[in-house]
Amino acid sequence: MPVDDAQGRTCYERSVALLRGSLTYARYFVAGELPDDFRDRFMRSIRHRVMKPLEPDDQDLERSGWCQVGDGNGLELAYSDVFWNEYINLGMRTDRWAIPGAMLRAKLKEAEAALLEKQGRERLSRKEKSELKEFVARRLRHKLTPQSRVVDLSWAVNEGVVRFFSHSPKAAANLAELFGRTFKAFGLELVPESPHTLRARLGLTKSEESAWKSLESLVLAREET
Amino acid sequence: MDLVDQIEGRRFVGREFLLWLWFETEIFEATLETKEHGAFGLWVGSRIGLSDRKESTVIKGAAPGAHREAKEALLRGKMPDTMGFTLSREDGDARFVLKGETLGLVGLVLPTVLGDGAEEEATTLAKPPPKKKGRDRDRAREEEAEADEAAEAFYERMQLAKTIEDILEALFRDFTALRLSDAWSRGVMPKLEAWAAGEDVDVDGYRAVRAAHATTKKKSK
Repeated sequence: MPVDDAQGRTCYERSVALLRGSLTYARYFVAGELPDDFRDRFMRSIRHRVMKPLEPDDQDLERSGWCQVGDGNGLELAYSDVFWNEYINLGMRTDRWAIPGAMLRAKLKEAEAALLEKQGRERLSRKEKSELKEFVARRLRHKLTPQSRVVDLSWAVNEGVVRFFSHSPKAAANLAELFGRTFKAFGLELVPESPHTLRARLGLTKSEESAWKSLESLVLAREET
Repeated sequence: MDLVDQIEGRRFVGREFLLWLWFETEIFEATLETKEHGAFGLWVGSRIGLSDRKESTVIKGAAPGAHREAKEALLRGKMPDTMGFTLSREDGDARFVLKGETLGLVGLVLPTVLGDGAEEEATTLAKPPPKKKGRDRDRAREEEAEADEAAEAFYERMQLAKTIEDILEALFRDFTALRLSDAWSRGVMPKLEAWAAGEDVDVDGYRAVRAAHATTKKKSK
């Protein structure tokens, strides 16, 4: 979990999952052939997708990018940070603005009252309300820091396996998007592990393939639920 | 049918895989084997999660599979969605929870040697060692050595994790080969039903089905 230091910057506990303690991860398979001289080419592409921390005036309310494994502040990636022999190790940092609903509502009410008084009006149009809400939210973002989270991944290049240290569907969606932006240009695709994909990788005979397609779940129930 | 639909449409196979592992670990008294890995210990420990579309049940304890409630849940139509296992081999015990629908691992504790309590190494490795400057050189060397040790711990952990994954893959291959065969409905299902109902299981008969089938399996990548 990230914490704030004395200067209010977000600090991250350093790499834990990869080096000690228990491992919780989802597996993915990388479909496609690695290009020649992939290390240099990957490094360039990864550096282009390094996390750019969210700023209050940015259009994006959420953003993901690469960082050093386990260190959300490690945004200058050296070759040795990323390539550990046959592994590519990265952190995926995701920043997200999360303004507490009650705070936003209270500030919006204040701003609305002030504007109506200043303009001598009784109510605002829907469009004006929407613009005011965006203005208030932006002003609040200047006083807050975005929520920030790092999830590590380790890509065993020789195996074509990515171990992603989270089971969160949201984190998985962010990974799919970021991995795609970084590696799709090399013809690589990230495929999540599942019974179907594992069975396909293990191979099926013709008769098994036919049985697999028509397979129905078994029923052990002896009474109506 | 696109890949996403195929993935979603076959998630139930992962739950059935958990059920089959539970069944085999009980009737084979916690000793399973695969062609590649030989015999090893595998038993259900710590927890079983079962669910249907309406509700879920989690049974915790040293032997959750032995709880009457666990098999009753099966007979009410629930299927396992998560299951805790201990896998025991010569190099030590590994504990983990396997998620049926994604085959993801949760809380995998490995029989590591190098990674234990390596907090300092972890901290050092997360940043590259500082540049050498005069008398700081010795310190830098020390930190480099610590970083090397931490890297070794990482490689060991990944290697051990891969071994666990390989065993689970081999078991999944054996399960699906049986599940997709004609032997499933005739030779396996009746025994699975008897086991779930707490009746005696013809273990030798099942072993024969399993062995006969194992000799015929031939996979192409």
